[in-house]
Amino acid sequence: MSDKRTSVKDALFEPPGPKTRRVIRIATVVSLAAIAALLWVVLRRFYETGQLDARYWSVFTRWTTWRFLGKGLLGTLEAAAVAGVVAFTAGFLLMVMRISGNRILGYISTALIEFTRGVPTLLFIYFFFLVVPKFGIKLPAFWKVCLPVSISACGVVAEVLRSGVNAVPKGQKEAAQSLGMLPHSVFLKVVFPQAFRFVIPALISELVIVVKDTTFAYVVNFPDLMQNAKVLISNYDALLSVYLVVALIYIAINWLINRASVAAAGRTNRYAVPAGKKQ
Amino acid sequence: MGIKELLSQYGDQYIQALFTTWKLTAFSFAIAFVIGVAVTVMRISPVQPLRVFAEIYIQIFRNIPGASLLMLLVYALPYLDVLLSYFVCVLIAASLIPSAFCSEYLMAGINTIGTGQIEAARSLGLSFMQIIRRVVIPQALRSSVLPLTNLLVSTMLTTALASQVPMNPRDLTGLVAHINTHAVGGVTAFLISALLYCATAVVIGQVGNMIDRKVRILR
Repeated sequence: MSDKRTSVKDALFEPPGPKTRRVIRIATVVSLAAIAALLWVVLRRFYETGQLDARYWSVFTRWTTWRFLGKGLLGTLEAAAVAGVVAFTAGFLLMVMRISGNRILGYISTALIEFTRGVPTLLFIYFFFLVVPKFGIKLPAFWKVCLPVSISACGVVAEVLRSGVNAVPKGQKEAAQSLGMLPHSVFLKVVFPQAFRFVIPALISELVIVVKDTTFAYVVNFPDLMQNAKVLISNYDALLSVYLVVALIYIAINWLINRASVAAAGRTNRYAVPAGKKQ
Repeated sequence: MGIKELLSQYGDQYIQALFTTWKLTAFSFAIAFVIGVAVTVMRISPVQPLRVFAEIYIQIFRNIPGASLLMLLVYALPYLDVLLSYFVCVLIAASLIPSAFCSEYLMAGINTIGTGQIEAARSLGLSFMQIIRRVVIPQALRSSVLPLTNLLVSTMLTTALASQVPMNPRDLTGLVAHINTHAVGGVTAFLISALLYCATAVVIGQVGNMIDRKVRILR
């Protein structure tokens, strides 16, 4: 994949001749001008409406601002990490139920997987925020974010794990069985470790979705990055700049997670299952 | 509140909410697809600035959380004298994010074709546009049916962002929040919306599988 010449993107063109080179040069200049014009229009908008004024951006020169945002970021990462672990555990159980061979367990698991994949995270969050307290269950704000986020991720995790298990060659299982291993140790010691390696990149990408979903924490007043940004805004009257910076922080985090996923895919490339492949 | 009482009081609103969600989903997906194709064309074009621009676009909208984008559109844009209705804001947010994923899936579809075919096409004397039209696009579209089906479902899930702004009529998620804050809807109110979402997702999935079986290329 890293070999540039073998990518389809580049195979589409032969080395351009003098005429095409000129066309490409002109297109390059025109597109550069268009992009520059776009940037200029946006910046002008900022300037004309006074959004470039120092008072909107001076917030970020203060140490306390960054500490407060950092605290929020920690909250986000903590919620995402815990939700990720819960989603992985639940997804693993659902996957085991689905491939267990027991019909009833299989149906239950399929229904749960389809349910969690077909319902938006926000609806689960409202369930934990508005419905659960009516049964007298008082959950801390942290769990009101973590549980819905992990519920809506666990179905996908289960399917990803299952696609990994299906990708393990049959001979592995048969070899383990012929050595006299018990069914559960065949699965836990031979099949699953290999399956897990296949799906590491897909699991890391799922983490991006978990991080994104935790942004709804403000619904339940959990102090994550987004919620702390809202507090900053009400204190400093710098809405646009704060929301922009926070958006950039989120983009940076998720970009890093995606890079990690690509790197992991490169390491396990030999075995990698194409993402999104239904088995 | 029992299910009968709930349906007699809020039944009409549920139907309206379902249609709102469907409408948002359909519009967003159509816009996302058009942008996705345009961005993909930029990515495979030989013009370097366009490639870089498309790459940055993808990275931004793949990675920005829906809530963050919606807040920017709804609350920050007015500071730049850009006033959009709530519906348009939700529509834009629910289009831009899937558009980045759409382009990623189309690129993956293009990459499955293999350089050999393109070299073969070129050695037959096909021009660049002919290769794109007759070799690349038909195959890329066929192998992206399943990913695009999943994208349609995730677009629907993204439209739940509509519950974060005061919209009339509400979407399915907004309606549940509304019922539960004004009356005792309980689990039933939540389940009705959830089942409507799920049913839509299952139907989309089935249709997608059907199309995929018809057009899939066996390799």
